[in-house]
Amino acid sequence: MAMHQPVPDEVAAPAAVKLGRAIVITSGKGGVGKTTTTANLGTALAQRGARVALVDADVGLRNLDIVLGLESRVKFHLLDVLEEKAALDEALVRDKHSESLVLLAAAQAREKEEVDTDRMRALIAALRERCDYVLIDCPAGIELGFKNAIAGADEAIVVCTPEVSAVRDVDRVVGLLGNRFKPQLIINRLRPQLVKKGKMLSVEDVNAILRLPLLGVIADEPEIIITTNKGEPLALRRDGETANAYHTIAARVAGEDVPAPAPELRESLMDKLGSFFGGRRA
Amino acid sequence: MSLLRGRGLGLEIHLAGWDFDAAIAELAARLSERPDFYRGTSATAIAGETPPSPEQLDVLRETLASAGIELHGVRQRVLKLSDSARSLVADFAGARADIAERRKRGEASVRRTNAAPAAPAPALQLAPPAPGTLYHVGTLRGGQALHHPGNIVVVGDVNPGTELVATGDIVVFGRLLGVAHAGAQGDDTAKVYALHLQATQLRIATCIALDEDRAHDASEPEVAFVRDGRIAIAPFSKVAEVAG
Amino acid sequence: MAGRRIVVTSGKGGVGKTTTTANLGAALAKRGLRVVLVDADIGLRNLDLVLGLEKRIVFDLVEVAEGRCQLRQALIKDKRFESLAILPAAQTRDKDAMTESQFEAIVAQAAEQADYVLIDCPAGIEGGFRNAVAGATEAIVVTTPEVSAIRDADRVVGKLNDRRLPMRLIVNRLRPEMVRTGDMLSVEDVCEILAIELLGIVPDDAEVIDTTNRGEPIVLDPTARLAAIYEKIARRLEGEMVPFTSFDAQGFLGRIIGALKAG
Repeated sequence: MAMHQPVPDEVAAPAAVKLGRAIVITSGKGGVGKTTTTANLGTALAQRGARVALVDADVGLRNLDIVLGLESRVKFHLLDVLEEKAALDEALVRDKHSESLVLLAAAQAREKEEVDTDRMRALIAALRERCDYVLIDCPAGIELGFKNAIAGADEAIVVCTPEVSAVRDVDRVVGLLGNRFKPQLIINRLRPQLVKKGKMLSVEDVNAILRLPLLGVIADEPEIIITTNKGEPLALRRDGETANAYHTIAARVAGEDVPAPAPELRESLMDKLGSFFGGRRA
Repeated sequence: MSLLRGRGLGLEIHLAGWDFDAAIAELAARLSERPDFYRGTSATAIAGETPPSPEQLDVLRETLASAGIELHGVRQRVLKLSDSARSLVADFAGARADIAERRKRGEASVRRTNAAPAAPAPALQLAPPAPGTLYHVGTLRGGQALHHPGNIVVVGDVNPGTELVATGDIVVFGRLLGVAHAGAQGDDTAKVYALHLQATQLRIATCIALDEDRAHDASEPEVAFVRDGRIAIAPFSKVAEVAG
Repeated sequence: MAGRRIVVTSGKGGVGKTTTTANLGAALAKRGLRVVLVDADIGLRNLDLVLGLEKRIVFDLVEVAEGRCQLRQALIKDKRFESLAILPAAQTRDKDAMTESQFEAIVAQAAEQADYVLIDCPAGIEGGFRNAVAGATEAIVVTTPEVSAIRDADRVVGKLNDRRLPMRLIVNRLRPEMVRTGDMLSVEDVCEILAIELLGIVPDDAEVIDTTNRGEPIVLDPTARLAAIYEKIARRLEGEMVPFTSFDAQGFLGRIIGALKAG
């Protein structure tokens, strides 16, 4: 190649690395579906071709590996990496089903107090250099575990169920997060039939207090428990309401302008029978 | 808190949290750094929980005088609000027992009335400078608290699980769903205003009220005030003439 | 004699600790026992909400610890159950607002005037958990029959063992049809993994969500299936040998065939 002029320094320098997005999945209240959401959203993003790293920040009570079916493949965990007992590459476990998805599991026999916040921040930064998305599964509560999970993230997805205690706790967390994290809301475990009967809070009831941009609503399905127990996230499927909901949410997270998924109020046969005979089902 | 603060009208010497002798030593050292800087100014000492003794005041006066500063007066820092709000013979347990009694008699804790609160008596003497108003824009979320020696204005909602404590009035330009305590140091002429008044609990001075009427959905702005020793709520349109 | 001090814990969040504490407490109070429920979840309090008492909170646990008020001023008597009272947590504070010994002292004081003190433990195993456990002499571990919940419960059982706390198990949100299809662990499976004595089995019930939202413990409704279940658990706690309800979803026909096969 002929050199027409001296190459300026700027061109010789390497191109800037495009940092991935670091999103913490949190709620305050336990059991609303943070881990399931992290696993499914991560899977859905990876299925779209993005490079995704999932980080389980629930030291001592790790569960993300179970939900992905990877518990037997974990050799090194978060604390091993933070304490430099293992390299990041050795600890990252490749997902069974999605090529571009990796997991950094939490430690089981350690305590949250052992996580150094600055090192956690540096770890997330390192992951952002090699991934399009880093999703951090936050533990329940608002103690040290929560503070460490949000270190290094700059966005948040809050997960809430249509229950007054969950709304109370999520509101607290959103207050603690502040505007910096631009939190968005996923409402989980909605049962449209119960909402219709006035026996469950509606999406409007929940967001009347939380006032957050809504990423999506996911209906309660026994399938979710089954697939969680089996370690196969629902988002691996191409059909089914829940799988579609996660795919839509992934698209929205990626910036596509698609409407937020909301479960339809389909009346099931049992409901029709129930109302015909009157009274409660046993 | 730092010992010396310059204010528009003179120097403030913040003694709260300082051992008095250490404060004097520090003050002397600071003044000797810039011997003539403060010459001719006046100073106010602001004491913490314990006001200085006359002997201590003399020492302070002399220390200042040697730098050409005149000690103008001594003020006491306002008690931590939560302490005063709680300790203020505020045996809220007593108020709760009262509410229980009323409930037995079938009286609601909070009276809704169309009567306006009485206009406050005109001031006959120079009132002390009005305490500042804390002005907050944005929704307050559960677990957050605003405590202020003065009035509080929130432009936004106050969610359940939030606490507002003010020595003066509370104004919420939004929905008030949390706990609001106005007149926290005993001023029972304090009021609570909201565009949508549905507080978990209302407190004014030593009065406390629960809004038992869950079905109530305020469609207009309302104000809560004390009348006959109990908290009452009236539509704001009826009391707009009360300037206060 | 001072009352029993029992912490209701789980590790995993959302498995039903608060609902269990509220309903078990109410069931015990219905039997005339004096019960104090303590919400140890500082910053994320929910026990008051679940009992519909959130509007009546004037003083909270942290203020008792800081000496700003007496314990009796902070206790809220439940209007529906004569002998039930709750000590709410603080909402605008954090879990480091109290030490373990402060918490222990308050629980001990509450136990002087009660037959039972039930402590609603926060999720997790951090400071809040340690405080809650510090006040207790016994534990009830709540889990659902799901792998993640059991794993977390197991961790908690280990920690409680370290402190030599006697503990018993409640399996919550059982779905017998899913157990039958093999999609959910059975109670036997759970007991085998955790290896602690079973105190109760509570089936999944959609009514609980609604009653919780309305602040009415399900024990209030004598016709509710779950009310009877919590009452049985209360009796077992009192020392009675009450047989466990069978949630075998085989149904009438299935049991006959089973009996025939057994010969």
